[in-house]
Amino acid sequence: MSGPVNDPPPGDPAARPLLGAATLPCGADVDLLLEQVADGRGADRDAHQQRCVHCQAALSEFTALWAPVTELTAAPIPAPPGLAAAVMSQIRFLVRDIWYTLEITESGTIRIAARIVAALARDCARMIPGVRVALGRSTQGKIAALAEKATFGHRHPHAAVGVLGRTAVVDLAVAVTYDDPAHQVARDIQRQVIATLRDQVGLQSVKVNVTVDDILGDDEI
Amino acid sequence: MTAAARAAQPAVGDAYLVARAQEGYLDAYELLVQRHSAMAYRVALRLTGHHHDAQDVAQEALIAAWENLSRFRAGSSFSTWLYQIVTRRALNKVSRGQAASSLDLLPGVADPAGEPATQTERNLAVDAVTDALLALPFPQRAVIVLHHFEGLPYAETASVTGSTESAVRSHLFRARRALGKKLEEWR
Repeated sequence: MSGPVNDPPPGDPAARPLLGAATLPCGADVDLLLEQVADGRGADRDAHQQRCVHCQAALSEFTALWAPVTELTAAPIPAPPGLAAAVMSQIRFLVRDIWYTLEITESGTIRIAARIVAALARDCARMIPGVRVALGRSTQGKIAALAEKATFGHRHPHAAVGVLGRTAVVDLAVAVTYDDPAHQVARDIQRQVIATLRDQVGLQSVKVNVTVDDILGDDEI
Repeated sequence: MTAAARAAQPAVGDAYLVARAQEGYLDAYELLVQRHSAMAYRVALRLTGHHHDAQDVAQEALIAAWENLSRFRAGSSFSTWLYQIVTRRALNKVSRGQAASSLDLLPGVADPAGEPATQTERNLAVDAVTDALLALPFPQRAVIVLHHFEGLPYAETASVTGSTESAVRSHLFRARRALGKKLEEWR
């Protein structure tokens, strides 16, 4: 390639074979110039580029050439609706729900998924002053395994009466704000969660284990 | 989760959520899924070129990440790890012979009919990029998507692709040139 790369006629690729050459007449590496533009540094010109017409023309040309890529990069692509829900649904299926039996009457059995109990407890905890983050789970480790085994019989309405009965164990992990006494917040959580589960779900015997595992300042995330 | 409870839930770091998810808090993993599902889908879409494949890849990757959470090393970046899983799953999907031919990498680009000429031209240019991207060999496409589209530094791109920084630079070099030539032809 010879002569300055400047004002190429539009629509004629043969007239601007920038990428057909390895270097410009000034010796600048064409690929490095393209990299400079592609990395968004097209306007950051070094001392040579500030006085070299070949480099200036090439950088301008590459900026125009790369513009559709930049545009595509900036285009928002949201997740399809329902993707996160579908993922969590499959994961919940894999871990299998644990069920609490609330009542067995002549009319039938009332059951509620343990995760619903945990979710209600978590949402309740999040509303308590001083709580920054609250995460809930129904039971943990060996207790969960035992509960699952024990409640398996609930597919048979009367088989497992009394195994768990109306008792729920809820674990909550919370992060509290710096200014609030952690033990006081934890007690508030226990009181409020127990009341909520009694009122909204009908669980009479609820144990709420609260783990305060972080204390965050106002500006911390 | 109620709207009020969701509003009361501040943003916390991925590391905190990963640690809680490893302890069995599904809630924590749900927050990670909500936070990263758009990225998983976006990368999968750009790598496979097909909406349904991308949805499958994103879903499989997020479930695989949960299944392998015990292997996740504290101190690592969850997003880098997820990028890695998505990229591998996309490669599997593409190499199973499903040709990536769709042009739906940019949802929302409307029917050209009735649009101003400049907008139509711009959309065609974006389509040309999409075509050119999908025509690249997968390793080149992956580094372009990860580095230029997702903005990952060279080192992180190398980590995601299980490669070296110099290999990433080499793939990028060829991929940029190939994309540039396609765009020159298109113009």
